[in-house]
Amino acid sequence: MAFSIESIRRRFTRAVITIVSIVLGIAFLSALLTISRIVIALSGPAAGAQALPSYQLWMAVIALLVCAVGIVNSMLMSVTERYKEIGTIKTLGAEDFHILELFLIEGGIMGVIGGVIGGIIGWGVAFAIYAFQAQSPLVSSIVTQAALGSVDLIGYSILLSVILSLLSSMVPAYMASKLNPVEALRYEV
Amino acid sequence: MSSVLRYEYTVETEDLAKNYVMGPITVKALDGVSVKIRRGEYLSIMGPSGSGKTTFFNMIGGLDRPTRGKVYIDEVDIAKLDAYELAWLRARKIGYIFQTFNLIPVLTALENVSLPMIFAGVGRDERLQRAKDLLERVGLGERLDHKPAELSGGQQQRVAIARALANNPVIVLADEPTGNLDLHTGLDIITLLKNLNSEKGVTIITATHDLKMIDVSDRIFWIRDGKLERIETRKEVSVRPVER
Repeated sequence: MAFSIESIRRRFTRAVITIVSIVLGIAFLSALLTISRIVIALSGPAAGAQALPSYQLWMAVIALLVCAVGIVNSMLMSVTERYKEIGTIKTLGAEDFHILELFLIEGGIMGVIGGVIGGIIGWGVAFAIYAFQAQSPLVSSIVTQAALGSVDLIGYSILLSVILSLLSSMVPAYMASKLNPVEALRYEV
Repeated sequence: MSSVLRYEYTVETEDLAKNYVMGPITVKALDGVSVKIRRGEYLSIMGPSGSGKTTFFNMIGGLDRPTRGKVYIDEVDIAKLDAYELAWLRARKIGYIFQTFNLIPVLTALENVSLPMIFAGVGRDERLQRAKDLLERVGLGERLDHKPAELSGGQQQRVAIARALANNPVIVLADEPTGNLDLHTGLDIITLLKNLNSEKGVTIITATHDLKMIDVSDRIFWIRDGKLERIETRKEVSVRPVER
């Protein structure tokens, strides 16, 4: 655990870039969902069906895919960079499971950070857009109520972010855990 | 653990061979090596680069599978172990020391030494206590919280030695432990290894070109082109002019 945290701190810039990409994807999704809740609140349940057009949902899905690819890329780099380290700890008696755990924790931490920041930003942006546009106190109060009622979406965003990060870290982590220690030790960066 | 002499031979190999296939060429890195290494021995494997020393190490350390032949560690045929049992063996029975130290750069000296104990499932408090004791034993009691980059080469190798001893292994494999150190520091490391060998009764096997190592070794294996050329005791070496 401490190992993963230290690893992130050492490669801080790259961790930040990865986290930013998660933040963007998750913020986009969180904003879209919050907006749809506010629109439903403003126009009544009848209009609910059109509140979130499918093309918008597709855009969110693509944004999430892009950020998943970013995580895979970053984790693969992290694995390649640490071939020798992985070889060393395997030599010292680490099981495949330990190495898997190491990289999944690293991915998971980035997922949590990205999800929290992204979820809050997305929710905040959606709220701000409608709050500023509100012409009357009535509209304004409906918007506020709908937005506050959508805080749960932040929770879902964090959950999604963590799941996404873990899934994306799975392949690089698996590759790392299956490295042959002899070859990994011989590898020079 | 010093008085329990359950197995006479800690390491035994029988006709050990390893071939590397590189395209059309087959390289015989190791070609029929049979040795018996006694518990508590201090052993040096000498030979030019590319003679098969490291390959030999990888075999007895359970890192690589031989093409032919057998390796026994404490009378267990390691070819019969699965990946999980091999990891178990590496964590508890074998300690490694590398030429390039191979400490984990993001961890402190103390954390580096406790790492193998995590893999062996030792509890946190005991882990830290043992790591502290070991670092004090190698003379780094003042440097527990330093990262490898803040330590000199000799100090890093001391941390690596403490790490190798973390789980009270029966064998310590040291691959060119003095190869990256100057003469004086190298001598310190050799003395430390010898002292640990006599104190703890741990079998130490070093692969080396370092002739200083001969003075502390009980026996010397000379390896050339993947074959065991001859085995000598310290006395036999010192009466004969050393060839290079």
